[in-house]
Amino acid sequence: MAGALDGIRVIDLTMWFQGPVAGQHLADQGAEVIHFENPRGGDLGRGVASIKALPVGDWNQYFLVINRNKKSMAVDLKSDAGRQVMYELVEKSDVFLTNLSAGALSKWGVSYDDLSAINPRLVYAMGSGYGPRGTVTKPSFDLTVQALIGVMTRLGEPGQPPIYLGMGSGDAMGGLMAAFGITTALWAREKTGRGQFLDASLYGAQLFMAAPTMQAWLATGSDRFSRQVSRSHARTPTWNTYRASDRWMVVCVHNDDGQWAKLAGLLDEQSSGGKLAADARFATDAARGENNVELVAELDRVFAGDTAENWVESLAETGLHAGVVCTLAELAEDEGAWANDYLARTHCNEVNREVMLRGLPLGLRGTPGTINTLGPELGQDTELILFETLGYDWDRIGELKSSGAIL
Amino acid sequence: MAGSQPTGALDDVRVVDLTRTFWGAMAGTLLGDFGADVVRLDSPDGSSREFPDDIERPALGDNDCMGALVHRNRRSVAVDISSDEGRALARELAATADVFLTDLSSDELGRCGLDEKSLRAGREDLVYLRGSAFGPLGPDSDRPPLDELAAARTGMMPILPEPGQPPVYPGHGQMYTSVMLALGAVTALLHRRASGEGQAVDASLLGGNMYGASLDLQAFLAIGGQRFCEPVSRLDAGNPMSGTKYPTSDGLWVTLTMPETDRWWPALSELVGLDSDDPRFATHDLRCGDNRLPLMELLDGAFRLESAAHWRERFNELQMSADVIEGYEFPAADPQASDNRYLIELEGGQRSLGFPVWMQDTPAAMHREAPAVGEHTDELLLALDGMDKARLESLRESGVVSGGER
Repeated sequence: MAGALDGIRVIDLTMWFQGPVAGQHLADQGAEVIHFENPRGGDLGRGVASIKALPVGDWNQYFLVINRNKKSMAVDLKSDAGRQVMYELVEKSDVFLTNLSAGALSKWGVSYDDLSAINPRLVYAMGSGYGPRGTVTKPSFDLTVQALIGVMTRLGEPGQPPIYLGMGSGDAMGGLMAAFGITTALWAREKTGRGQFLDASLYGAQLFMAAPTMQAWLATGSDRFSRQVSRSHARTPTWNTYRASDRWMVVCVHNDDGQWAKLAGLLDEQSSGGKLAADARFATDAARGENNVELVAELDRVFAGDTAENWVESLAETGLHAGVVCTLAELAEDEGAWANDYLARTHCNEVNREVMLRGLPLGLRGTPGTINTLGPELGQDTELILFETLGYDWDRIGELKSSGAIL
Repeated sequence: MAGSQPTGALDDVRVVDLTRTFWGAMAGTLLGDFGADVVRLDSPDGSSREFPDDIERPALGDNDCMGALVHRNRRSVAVDISSDEGRALARELAATADVFLTDLSSDELGRCGLDEKSLRAGREDLVYLRGSAFGPLGPDSDRPPLDELAAARTGMMPILPEPGQPPVYPGHGQMYTSVMLALGAVTALLHRRASGEGQAVDASLLGGNMYGASLDLQAFLAIGGQRFCEPVSRLDAGNPMSGTKYPTSDGLWVTLTMPETDRWWPALSELVGLDSDDPRFATHDLRCGDNRLPLMELLDGAFRLESAAHWRERFNELQMSADVIEGYEFPAADPQASDNRYLIELEGGQRSLGFPVWMQDTPAAMHREAPAVGEHTDELLLALDGMDKARLESLRESGVVSGGER
């Protein structure tokens, strides 16, 4: 079956995570994405050897998953002949995607001005760190940009270190935003006849990630959106994390009298001598808010009396929502995650066996995304693309090779 | 068409937005920011503006700061979809859409005749875009669309904090879902332009949270083991110079990302006053292998000796990928955030999140501020076939619609 982006050719001059994962979204939906790399080792993501101090094992899942469904060309942009290859490919491409520094791109002659002069229909997508305007020039990574947003210092118990939202969390958003920008620019191109420059920076993407609390903070200036608040001081105790006898869960019950009556009724029934429903300290929504610390303490005590699984079930029977706080190991066995293709299996050539990987988060039911191959070997498609797409003959390809312009 | 100047990249796209969650509506905001004509189906009593997870709303009172972001760049029509006549109007409005966006449950949609099958019957070019909690398939497809439940399932909450701490609900997972819905809409529209065919497109809170769990999740799938299921101390990182956090003398924190330690070790060691020639840290493998724990202890001690402002100044001088960990005050005052329009000011002076993607020729823009519930009821309904002022008035009298010109 055809992919939604069949016929779109993307030059993916990216490295590490933010840039490559943008290309992954396009490749998953059928675009021809060419990971364009230097012949001296290529994308630095190929060299990732450990994660969390653990060896990555016999296949480099860091590189191979976000570069899946792509081709690889190894071309030296420092050579005139290599640059000529790039320019000829630009003529025949729809999208140029990069997350390299503006300085390097200019030096190699692949800035927006350089490439749009060759192909005015080209969509030129940049994944920068701090945005196209401004004065910051230092290198950017996920965490050093996330540090500036304000999301890290509001999470966790008071006094605890700021919390990182997870390795690659901001890069993942930056890449997703770039993919959204690229498709949107492709749509506009049909009307204007021209491509354009776009940038989806880590800064912009990560501010968007903060939207639920940052927008509230911008309007109110209230600390409760911007500072660490202990779970023992949750403003809405019925909407909080609780530790059952065996493990943690989230409880999502609204602080209104109807929901409280249901919750208190259930808890009183399940614990001996329970009197929450009749407790005047918790009789109204305002009272529950004012006596929040006492209420969390009461709920801590009651929830500790049974297992999380049992609580989630009995709450569900009462029409109330809660969930067990799972581990990644449990997620890896989650029936729904597999049913919806959020997890997938595919063959890995490097180890000649099937491996598990992050699947397809976006369901296009008419033109489903596919995972055909994991990330390419460095330069595996150079010669074929030169021959088939650019019409080079084998003599010329041989010359490029012996001069070192291609791998 | 070549040469014409559109006002927005998506200004020829109509989206009918029947969402009730923050994250669902934010997908419509992304499309509206780029010029799509987004028509929001509100309910006449305004309850459509209450998010199911909005536990802070009572405290916020009348200051609908969230709505300024979530409902901007739209027109609002207020129609009661619990009535037969209201449902018929909603279906007629949906029939004018290129994209129908919703986060209602499949039961509700079926009851209203707004499910995929009903709306795409005879409208095969419609893009039917639906967000849910756990995806359309599997045992949890009917669970309520609460980000907390999806985050709890995703496996990151236990490992975000330090060892011994309660799990942390981060709150950002839903935002990946918003962007995925917007990306899905435009991707499906591109396919429609090539083929004439619309399709059903879905994204979910679980899918969004899992996508955001990217490297931890993928490493667990490949490597496995308890180290991905339990919190790891910040002083037990894999690379002391990358992904680490250290406290400063004034109670703030700095963070470093310099994965290529060979390149940065001489400058960093000199900056913090460690011996650059210490044989224990002579190679990348030693720094990230056998001697990573002692190196982290030394860095932890060294950064405590000076203030955050001191470190920031030095990081910038040396152009190091390192920074101070800030609060929301920082971006709010940072010209880099306003110059790039990531943060904007509304007409009344209210600050708001702006536009995450910079597009040179067809930029995102504030086409219109968030409308009141039903502000555009008249203009939208009078454009429907068979609608006239008398019928509209009687619908208003009976409470099926509200708002508009009186």
